[in-house]
Amino acid sequence: MIKVVDLQKRFGTLRVLNGITNEVREGEVVCVIGPSGSGKSTFLRCLNLLEIPDGGQIYFDGVEITDLKKVDINQIRAEMGMVFQRFNLFPHMNVVENICLAPLKVRKCSREEAEARAYDLLRKVGLQEKALAYPDTLSGGQQQRVAIARALAMQPKVMLFDEPTSALDPEMIKEVLDVMKELAKEGLTMVVVTHEMGFAREVADRVLFMDEGLIIEENTPDQLFNSPQHERTKLFLSKIL
Amino acid sequence: MGYKWDLSVVVRFLPVLLQGAALTIQLTCIAVGMGILIGTFVGIGRVSKNKLLYTLSSIYVTFIRGTPMLVQLYLVYFGLPAYFGTIPPRMAAIITLSVNSGAYVAEIVRAGIQSIDRGQLEAARSLGMTYSQAMRYVLIPQTFKRIIPPLGNEFIALLKDSSIVSVIALEELVRKGSMIAGRTFRAFEIWTAVALLFLCMTLPITQLVNYAERWLKQND
Repeated sequence: MIKVVDLQKRFGTLRVLNGITNEVREGEVVCVIGPSGSGKSTFLRCLNLLEIPDGGQIYFDGVEITDLKKVDINQIRAEMGMVFQRFNLFPHMNVVENICLAPLKVRKCSREEAEARAYDLLRKVGLQEKALAYPDTLSGGQQQRVAIARALAMQPKVMLFDEPTSALDPEMIKEVLDVMKELAKEGLTMVVVTHEMGFAREVADRVLFMDEGLIIEENTPDQLFNSPQHERTKLFLSKIL
Repeated sequence: MGYKWDLSVVVRFLPVLLQGAALTIQLTCIAVGMGILIGTFVGIGRVSKNKLLYTLSSIYVTFIRGTPMLVQLYLVYFGLPAYFGTIPPRMAAIITLSVNSGAYVAEIVRAGIQSIDRGQLEAARSLGMTYSQAMRYVLIPQTFKRIIPPLGNEFIALLKDSSIVSVIALEELVRKGSMIAGRTFRAFEIWTAVALLFLCMTLPITQLVNYAERWLKQND
């Protein structure tokens, strides 16, 4: 579904991605782990072109989306949901308006259709009673669940999660991970940058370990966590597990 | 030390002063209204990635903020007739005040947009919205709330600065005051009254801005 070939990204003179090649298949849950500064988030943000790569190609459903002259970047992003570390809900809109905005303006859905779907999604993330609440009245965990619902409202083909639980208080992490597990179970294609090793172990079909802008090692969670092959993977895992 | 206050002069000419104050308010309201309109577009231009838009709006803001309003007024009133024929003082005043205000509002709008967390734009774009959709539905509405206090200050500043149009014989509050003071030789009384009238206009606006700020905070 997403194919990445020799992806490169620099910020000024700092090389953040040094040639990433990988493929995410339909229905697959891929977790990306690695030390901070390893390029995981940049890699994820390149996938929906929030960062424009300096080299290499990304194919989405067989179309090269890094060829910016030929593709409509907005149309591609509409097919890829993204959830951010800091939620980024729109503070001037209530929960339902947050969820409905993009379906209304980008997909040109009718209001009835958009709202019906919004309420369905809120039920799914367990927040239907918060439909009319404003984001700053919600806890971090609730905000993140709304953010997930907002991304899902576009009915994306793939969901990108950028450290979705890193900004949460510990007691709220579970409620967000539970929602993500549910989505994984339904067969949604997901790419998750995370520090939650328990989640990666339980939910991922495949785990990528990144360091210094490269994928050092990739394997099933079982293999990667229990018998890592590379020294750097071993070192990283020994520090966090 | 022998100066005796004669407040009867103020009482006698108060209606005339109020007429002037009414024109002051009228000019200021029109100019700030136009200024917000101009400033919103120019402010968006100032954060635009489009080079032409950015350059044009920057030139405008730099020129207006870098030159005295009196010179701008003379340019419009005495200069423009070279091309457009005589411009009535009232029209010249409204053009000058609006164009001047627009530049300051533009900077307020620019700062307002830039003060909004980058994540807001990213979230909007990640949902497939175009840059202008993200601006219109996500960034600008949030900007409005933030810029109400500085806009109130701009209104107050323009209300005071509008007195400059007295030099082209527009009979707003300062012009009226100067006419009456010249006729009655009661400069101290009259200018005190003029100053107090300005205060009477600016204080409620300050209050209104404070109130709006609190109200918006509650409804955030």
